[in-house]
Formats: sequence, structure tokens, C-alpha cells
Amino acid sequence: MAQSRFTIMTLVRRALVALGAAAIVAAVLRLRGSGGVPPRDGGWRELSGPDLR
Amino acid sequence: MRLAVVGLGALGARAARQLASTPGVTEILLAEPDVAKRDAIAEVLGPVATAVDWAVGDDLPGGVADCDAALLAGPSEFHVEQARRLVALRRPFVSTADARPAVQGLLDLDAEAAGFGLPAVVGAAFSPGLSCALARHGAGWFDAVDEVHVAWLGTGGPACAHQHHRNFAGSALEWHDGAWAQRPAGSGRELCWFPDPVGAADCYRGDQCEPLLLQPALEGVSRITARMAGTRRDRLLARLPMLRPPHPEGAVGALRVELRGRRSGGTDTVVLGAIDRPAVAGAAVAAVATVWAAEGRTRRAGVGGVAAQFEVLPFLSELARRGIRAAIFDGSSPAEPSVSSG
Repeated sequence: MAQSRFTIMTLVRRALVALGAAAIVAAVLRLRGSGGVPPRDGGWRELSGPDLR
Repeated sequence: MRLAVVGLGALGARAARQLASTPGVTEILLAEPDVAKRDAIAEVLGPVATAVDWAVGDDLPGGVADCDAALLAGPSEFHVEQARRLVALRRPFVSTADARPAVQGLLDLDAEAAGFGLPAVVGAAFSPGLSCALARHGAGWFDAVDEVHVAWLGTGGPACAHQHHRNFAGSALEWHDGAWAQRPAGSGRELCWFPDPVGAADCYRGDQCEPLLLQPALEGVSRITARMAGTRRDRLLARLPMLRPPHPEGAVGALRVELRGRRSGGTDTVVLGAIDRPAVAGAAVAAVATVWAAEGRTRRAGVGGVAAQFEVLPFLSELARRGIRAAIFDGSSPAEPSVSSG
């Protein structure tokens, strides 16, 4: 009985440690990661001439 | 022309310099609680500048009652009470307030100011300010405008950075089909393309003032939204105090105004933008607005934003003369310069 209880507690502890580590890694990736930038067409030009009429 | 600048932060100091180089301005009262900074700016500006004592707060500095117009460039939370006093003194004023409660409070003074025939401009900076002028200008190219979407990237001085931080907390106001709608700030991610070299940035709904200021100026528009660029960290920490003090001034900022509507028998999209340091561009907007308010060059008496109060074409031309230039997006697929990503 005591042996079984010890095994369950160890399992719970390991699960909590694993979840904690995963949360920390996820938080770091979430805060430091960046998305990609898709390609684009066209471009910007200064507003002048007929655009300012 | 005798003008007053109340608050000499990153924007106020540059606005004072712009005013000092404006023909017809004979005296500028400089009010700033940091006496050393105020005196240094007064010395740089020369004899046109007069330093006056002022402690930050609701009160106005002495001498404002004799000015042709006052530029409120201090902390936004005091602008409503300061504006109330200026209305009582029958003095035109321009506010650079960028916090929604302050802008709403200033707009609420409209009837009182209009009753005195007093011109006043609110949100005269980069965003809001230049953003509103661009939106109004672009709207003139349509037979009918259906949607206006504003995006903003960057910050000016520390006060602007604090406001940017707060804008991701709380809720964002949007105009949807003839009614106001509240959306969670920090939601609605959209990849927006700003003028080069800024390029693309993820933008999210923010507690910004453009919908409030543009809605009265653009009749018939069914949708007005405002977003601002931010990182995941900005959104995650928005409800906490800023963990470190902001920089004295931010780097290059950008604006993007997308208009969708009908013209020439079909639907079309126009994208306008601008790129500059927000405090520099905002100062030029504030300075031109102050001079024009003092000269009575507003379209109507009362309180309103840049889009409602000024003829924007000469306004943008004057800004271009001062080095603040707008841009337009020419694309092979003009309806898709912005790619929604979630």
C-alpha cells in the first residue's frame, strides 16, 4: 500500500515538473518568437502632384 | 500673433520650434514645469519665446488669456479642465490629447465652444491628427466611402509610449453599421504594410481616438477601425505598469490609412500612409493647427478633430512644405496590401 502510494506521488510530481517545464518553454517561445512576412506587390510613392488636388 | 504652448515634452518642444519659425508669430509663451528644460528651449528659440511659470495640472499659465490661441501639449488627463478654462476665457485652443477619455471630454465641449464662436481642435498630433487628415483627404477621391481602417506604428515621447502601453488594455471603440461597438483591445491581429522602410507589422485593435474623431467628419461611413502595431509582450503586459521607463523618444513611426468605397461605378480601395518620427510629425500638425485656429481658418466653430475642422488639402500641403510628406500605395493588387492573419 505504501509502495503504491509512493509510486503515484512520484508520477504526479514528474507530471507537474513536465507541465511546468513545457509552460516555461512555451512562454519563452510565445514572447520571443516572430511570425513570417509574406511577399507583397506594388509599392509606396510620395503623395504629390495630382494626388494633392 | 501671440501663442502659448503648455507642456514642452518631445512633441511640445518641437511644436514650439515650428511656431517660432512661422511668419506672423510674434510671441510664444512657453509653459513647462521643468524650469531648466523650459529655459533651455526658450534660449534656443530666441526673443520670440517667453518663459512663464506653470506647475503641471489643471491650471493655465499666466498670460494665456491674452493669447490668440493655446496649444495644450502636456499630459492628456489635464486637457479637459484646461480647455474648459480656455473656453471660459474665449480663447481658441488645440489639444494633442491621444487618450480616448480626454478626447471624448474635449469633444463634449463642442456645443459650449460653438456657442461662443470659438474654434478648437482636438487630437492634433501624429495619431490622431495626421491620420485623420489623410483619411479625410482620401475620402475626397470616392463617391461614397464605406470603410476607413487606420493603423499606427511607433511612439513619440514618454507620454506617448505610456499611452501606447495603456491602449492595449481595456477595449477598443469601433464604428460598425451606424453604431459604436466595443472590442477587446489587443485582439484582431492584422498584418499591415506601412511605407518603406518600415514595411509590415502585426497590428491589433487599440483604445485609439480615430473612430471618435473621424465619424463626425465622414458622413455615411459604415465602418471605422483603428489598430496599432505591437508585440506579444505589449499585449501580454498591457494591464501591468510599464516595467521599465520608456525611451526619451521612440524611433521612426508610421501611419497607414486604408479607405474602401465606391467610385466610377465600382468599388475601390485607396491606401495612404506616412513615415516620420511621431513627435516630429505630430509637432508639425499641432503647430499648423494652432496657427490656423488662431487665424480662424477652421471650417466651423466648436471642437472637432483635424478632419472636421480644416480643409485638409491645404493642410497637407502646408505639412509637406514643412517636410512632413504623405505617401500612397500603388499596387498591382490594390485591394490586398493588407493581409489578415488571424
